[in-house]
Amino acid sequence: MNGKSAKKGLVPALFAAVTAAILVAAVVSICVGKYSITVDDIRAIFAGKEVDDMTRRVFLTLRLSRTIMAIISGVGLGVAGSVYQIIFKNPLASPDIIGIAGGANLGAAIAIVSVSTSGMFAIASGAFWGGLAAVVCVMLLVKATRSRSTSTYVLAGIVINAISKAIIMALKYFADPENELAAMEYWEMGTFGNTTLSKLLSILPMFLIGLIGILLLRRQIELMSLSDNECRALGVRLKPVRAAVLALSTLMVGSIISVTGLISFAGLIAPHTARLMLCRNNSTTIIMSGMVGAFVVLTADILARVLYSAELPISILTTVIGVPILVYFLCTRGKETA
Amino acid sequence: MRELFSLKDVRIAYGKTEIVHGVDIGIAPGEFCALLGLNGSGKTTILHGCCGFLPIQGSFTVADTDCRSLNEKKRARLVSFIPQVCSLQGGRTAFEVVLMGFNSQLGLLESPSAEHKRAALEAMQRLNCAEFAEKDFGALSQGQRQIVILARCIVQDSPVMLMDEPDSALDFLNRHMVLSKISELIKEENKAGLITLHDPNFAMAYCDRLFLLKQGNIVGELDMRTANRDEVQQKLSLIYGNIDIVENNGSFLMGRAK
Repeated sequence: MNGKSAKKGLVPALFAAVTAAILVAAVVSICVGKYSITVDDIRAIFAGKEVDDMTRRVFLTLRLSRTIMAIISGVGLGVAGSVYQIIFKNPLASPDIIGIAGGANLGAAIAIVSVSTSGMFAIASGAFWGGLAAVVCVMLLVKATRSRSTSTYVLAGIVINAISKAIIMALKYFADPENELAAMEYWEMGTFGNTTLSKLLSILPMFLIGLIGILLLRRQIELMSLSDNECRALGVRLKPVRAAVLALSTLMVGSIISVTGLISFAGLIAPHTARLMLCRNNSTTIIMSGMVGAFVVLTADILARVLYSAELPISILTTVIGVPILVYFLCTRGKETA
Repeated sequence: MRELFSLKDVRIAYGKTEIVHGVDIGIAPGEFCALLGLNGSGKTTILHGCCGFLPIQGSFTVADTDCRSLNEKKRARLVSFIPQVCSLQGGRTAFEVVLMGFNSQLGLLESPSAEHKRAALEAMQRLNCAEFAEKDFGALSQGQRQIVILARCIVQDSPVMLMDEPDSALDFLNRHMVLSKISELIKEENKAGLITLHDPNFAMAYCDRLFLLKQGNIVGELDMRTANRDEVQQKLSLIYGNIDIVENNGSFLMGRAK
């Protein structure tokens, strides 16, 4: 990007606009679904007034946790995608680049085959540990090559993703097509339909550790956009810092996709949109990317509930919503930044 | 004079191939020295070894501190590095790029304070580049970028400055501008400067001493403050072969002999 940076006053205005959009989407997300809740109901609940018991229960156990889950998923994928695009200096980097998606997918598939197609807890833990194990394998592979360059991580990620894919294909081939195969396919398309308050609460600490850790390390992440050598010459302890950033983002993304299944495209598109909006690529962009991610995923989840009589998989909609946003910013801001 | 920067019997290898075979270089405070040599003679390898990008054997000290075992952060407090071109594509303001120089002085999670920001702006003013502080780094010309990187180097404030052909992407006027600013900085702050250059004419014009490198060995050394025409001709022809040196008001110019 070679353009001028966005005008000073524009940046807070953009942040305010995106925050407002997320808030509106969050209210809509709480309202819509099979059992609808009105805005008055929400106000009454927050004011502590009497409301219908069913409404209160739907609000507390289903909608609120689902909405929060959608927001933190978008934030997590957006932030991780942005961090990866910066540290891997690769505009195609997304949270799956170091093998986490492949590993989580494999973990979930193994849980589906070996435990049960409906064992939600088993599938979630399988996905979480699968994702973590894949990233550990990537790290070990990098260590085995004794290379210090960042691009080795990308190649190792490709290797681990490919191995996971092969094993998943084998599992699918031998799976029972009615139940197991269907469950695996659905998991790969992602949904917020399985979100519950207890799941949300059990992943929230890990998500927050990852997110806060990354935000604290933001200055080091900015420096890692330089070449490995230049970064070292400025005194960045590349090996431990890079490992910490990857571990934190893995924790964050792993905790999200263990609950939702794979969510495609959000982690790739949010950072690009944020960068084009701000004409910057620094830590402000990381935060904006998280917010754009939250908006895209939240809107996708609303549409997943209202477009069709049954719930649609989230990945269909994140792609459908993400693409026009990116194209819009490419067309309007692309001229200035070209 | 006491040496600020000292290499003794330094050997550096890429994998199993040894590129630099036992080199001694000593630089005093306020001295600006150049490494001259043809492609593949090991100039860049020496700088990369000193920056910690490649493992080195032998002794490497800065102000009597052994640098070989230092981690990146401690080393960056002693040695700064200017690459041929900065690897940053843009997306940051020039001011943000200068602030990066404080990294080795800041804690892992610490951000630059108002004091740091003032110092960064002062460094830019000193190099007359404060007017593009808020411009995107990617929108600057190569010459402007190298000046910003030099400001980053001022902010990093390490006693030794290593530079790997910082002029290679610049035009004639920008070359003179960047090299004279580097030379001024080294004199004013009493730093030890070591630069690799392709053009011996620029080295003779700006540097105090030249180290002549051939196939990983130092084959000669020239002190430009005392050298005469014959000595310059004899030493430089060790590297460049058949050359002529023209003397003009106490400065020298090299050309190919007819």
